Amino acid sequence: MAAVLEIRGLAAAYGDLQALWDVTFDVPERAITTLLGSNGAGKTTTLRVVSGTLPATSGEVRIAGERVTGRSAHHIVDLGVVQVPEGRHLWPNMTVEDNLLLGAYSPRARSARVATIGEVYALFPRLAERRRQLAGTLSGGEQQMAAIGRGLMAKPTVLMLDEPSLGLAPILVDEVFRVLSEICEQGTTVLLVEQNAHRALELAATATVLENGRTVLAGPARQIADDPKVRSAYLGL
Amino acid sequence: MRLVEALISALMVAGLYATMSYGLALIYGVRKVINIANAGTMTLGAFVTLLIWQATGLDPLLCVFIVGPLFFFVGALIEVFLVRRVAAQAPIISLLLLFGVLLVIQAATSLVFGGDVRSVRPAYIESVVKLGDITLAYNRLAVFFSGLVILVGLELFLRNTFLGRAIRALAQDVEACQLAGIDTKRVSMIAFGIGTALSGAAGCLLTLVFAFDPTNPFGVLQLKSFTIIVLGGLESVVGVAFASFVLALAENVTVTLWKAQLENLVSFVLLVVVLVVMPGGLAALLRRRGVA
Ligand SMILES: Nc1ncnc2c1ncn2[C@@H]1O[C@H](COP(=O)(O)OP(=O)(O)OP(=O)(O)O)[C@@H](O)[C@H]1O
Ligand SMILES: [Mg+2]
Repeated sequence: MAAVLEIRGLAAAYGDLQALWDVTFDVPERAITTLLGSNGAGKTTTLRVVSGTLPATSGEVRIAGERVTGRSAHHIVDLGVVQVPEGRHLWPNMTVEDNLLLGAYSPRARSARVATIGEVYALFPRLAERRRQLAGTLSGGEQQMAAIGRGLMAKPTVLMLDEPSLGLAPILVDEVFRVLSEICEQGTTVLLVEQNAHRALELAATATVLENGRTVLAGPARQIADDPKVRSAYLGL
Repeated sequence: MRLVEALISALMVAGLYATMSYGLALIYGVRKVINIANAGTMTLGAFVTLLIWQATGLDPLLCVFIVGPLFFFVGALIEVFLVRRVAAQAPIISLLLLFGVLLVIQAATSLVFGGDVRSVRPAYIESVVKLGDITLAYNRLAVFFSGLVILVGLELFLRNTFLGRAIRALAQDVEACQLAGIDTKRVSMIAFGIGTALSGAAGCLLTLVFAFDPTNPFGVLQLKSFTIIVLGGLESVVGVAFASFVLALAENVTVTLWKAQLENLVSFVLLVVVLVVMPGGLAALLRRRGVA
């Protein structure tokens, strides 16, 4: 499988505080890759650097072979790599429909917005019912659906999700995981950051483990799940 | 009858107030800074209108079509070359910078136009319109409708276009905008331009209602704008429009029932009261009730 996203020796800092030291992994095309690690390991920071909202201090990111390190965030979205951020980040005082439509801001996605919003409403019928409601008044689960829907509106080739199941009831977690495998079946590559390592390793084809801003393990999900260190640290076995 | 007249005349003034205040709200939305240069660009708009009117006799209301686009570029330049450069620093820095812009505009206008009080007086300035028992000044009516057209147009733009939605979204969550593929720098520049264009347009409208001079760049009006956005909330056209009406009405009632000299005190008192008793203004009040 060709890697659509290649991350090589990435380092990044928040002011004086270095958060990433050496992050290296590949995201193979049309499959689900999961990024694991304990709190503060640097998962969110890695996604920020890939998305271009935080600059890399060294290392590089390649999308479909093209070096994109240092590009602005909107260029990355134009190239098809789209992030659904931790904590949803919807625009609370705008309607669900406006939130979704703005997801299709990039020229590539904009012309297809009517068809795409139909697909999103088919995937999340709940959002169709709430389209006129302000996003800030949605329940946690509905907000997560809207955030994923907004990401899909950008017609991503790679969809990166940062802890999409955080704070959701078990039945909604099932729903999120079902949607992710559906998105992947339709040909979109998924990079999933998850606290729930059990579920993530079940779903994913490949996995990467971060510790203190460094990649410590990377490989097929099955192999990572059998790793003794992973079993004790992340799977509680 | 006096009540109806007071309401109508408050409504007339509110159109102007909302036009001159809404730019502040737009700019605050994208850059989280109060554009203290607003009064300066407003005065400059009034002088440009005076020049155009003297040179060509073009009606001040039509000058909006020249001053608006011109001031859009002025605002965009201020954003790109000044405000953006200090955006990462504490908000006070942007505020001081814009205060500097205000002083420069003020000094430049007095240099060019001298210190005299000016006014623009087209032929219809003394005309009135009679609606039954109610007499309305033609100029105020014209200014009201111009302000209304500008604000309705702006609201339609903000609600129904991608760029307009992006401006609203940027006021609510910057990171979400970046991740949605919005070029946030470009959108900030455009919003700053539109905000400044609005202040210039307000300057055009003002010439029909007030006399003006360079040394006191609509200082009282600046205070009124602050009161309006504090009262109306910084992110809602409806809030700004409503707050403009509340202020205009309060002034009107004070002047008719009490003393004309107190007019300018009203906005100050209202500002203090709002800051103390209802942080977040009317918008927060409405939101708490689930209306907005
Ligand atoms: N905005 C920020 N400013 C300063 N430091 C930050 C910021 N965000 C994260 N950090 C620091 O960077 C390091 C990596 O954080 P990051 O958010 O990437 O971890 P994470 O793996 O996503 O953790 P979690 O599972 O808790 O979400 C942590 O030490 C954190 O304290
Ligand atoms: Mg995180």
